[in-house]
Amino acid sequence: MIAAIGLVAGIVAGLFLEPTVPLWLQPYLPIAVVAALDAVFGGLRSLLDGIFDDKVFVVSFVANVLVAALIVYLGDQLGVGAQLSTGVVVVLGIRIFSNAAAIRRHLFHA
Amino acid sequence: MNTREPVHEPSRHVAAHARRTGRDRLRGALRPRATRGQLIAALLCGLLGFAAAVQVRANRDSDLAGLRQTDLVRILDDVTERSARLQAEARDLEAARAQVTGDTSGSLAALEQARARVRTLGILAGTVAATGPGIEFTISDPKGEVQADLLLDALQELRDAGAEAVELANPDGPKVRVVASTHLVDVDGDGAVKVDETLIKAPYQFRVIGDARTLAAALDIPGGVLDVLRQREAQGMVTQRSEITIASLHPAPAPEYARPAP
Repeated sequence: MIAAIGLVAGIVAGLFLEPTVPLWLQPYLPIAVVAALDAVFGGLRSLLDGIFDDKVFVVSFVANVLVAALIVYLGDQLGVGAQLSTGVVVVLGIRIFSNAAAIRRHLFHA
Repeated sequence: MNTREPVHEPSRHVAAHARRTGRDRLRGALRPRATRGQLIAALLCGLLGFAAAVQVRANRDSDLAGLRQTDLVRILDDVTERSARLQAEARDLEAARAQVTGDTSGSLAALEQARARVRTLGILAGTVAATGPGIEFTISDPKGEVQADLLLDALQELRDAGAEAVELANPDGPKVRVVASTHLVDVDGDGAVKVDETLIKAPYQFRVIGDARTLAAALDIPGGVLDVLRQREAQGMVTQRSEITIASLHPAPAPEYARPAP
């Protein structure tokens, strides 16, 4: 419940504060958002599985974001940033779908 | 790929919660409890929402500023290539335009040349009026002794002397433009000649454009046209003019069978 409130509060803050994204962060922010989304879905799934652990959630969240940003950074340095970003988004998308499927099975038994 | 990575390893709690369903656990989680886990999850979710909102806004605002370097280079390449292509196209079009305008001036010159040629040929063929220096050669024939052969001799003499346009007329009557195909036919009796279907009575007057002195001299040679006229008791009178205008025309029917050969 508090997590949902936090999510809404974050969205509202982002919409109303209108911060400008720093230039060095611009290539990584979209990937980081997708990675964090993946971590949140994973956390929700583990909650429904009854194995949620806040420490693991924090670590997986931060690690997901960092690894995604690192991959994009590496891709930029190698000259394949765009393709690698696409690859990361595809992989994270698949994970989000599988987690969403598990959550759906828990909630609707279908 | 381990799709269960964010899912935590089974722990000893699993057995204790095994009988609870997912819905029960969600209901339990939704109950507001200020535990450490809930607070941290809220913080991270807030961070996610914040970042997502910022990114959506930034993505909507900027088109080029948010792109990475390789994308910018690619766009720049595209633009450069497109610009080069358009420049090449512009060069081609300008060359085509120059060619067309050049052709136009060339064809204008050719047209002017063709018009001049038409005028020249028209004078020779008798289809256009002509003006220039020349002579008037009047033959008075009171006794009806001048016939077509004598007129033809005079015409031949004038042609030899360089006559460029010739008109045969009665000073008070019909005029006929004399061209290459002009024919002269005697008419019985009354001192008249049929020139190209037109009846011309004496006195006959040649109006000739050419070098006036040469023409006059050609008629006055010993044994020439004027001598013969005197022998036949007719009178020939040559008058040199600085300007003679021949307005009569020879109709030029379109050829029925002949076509210009290429």
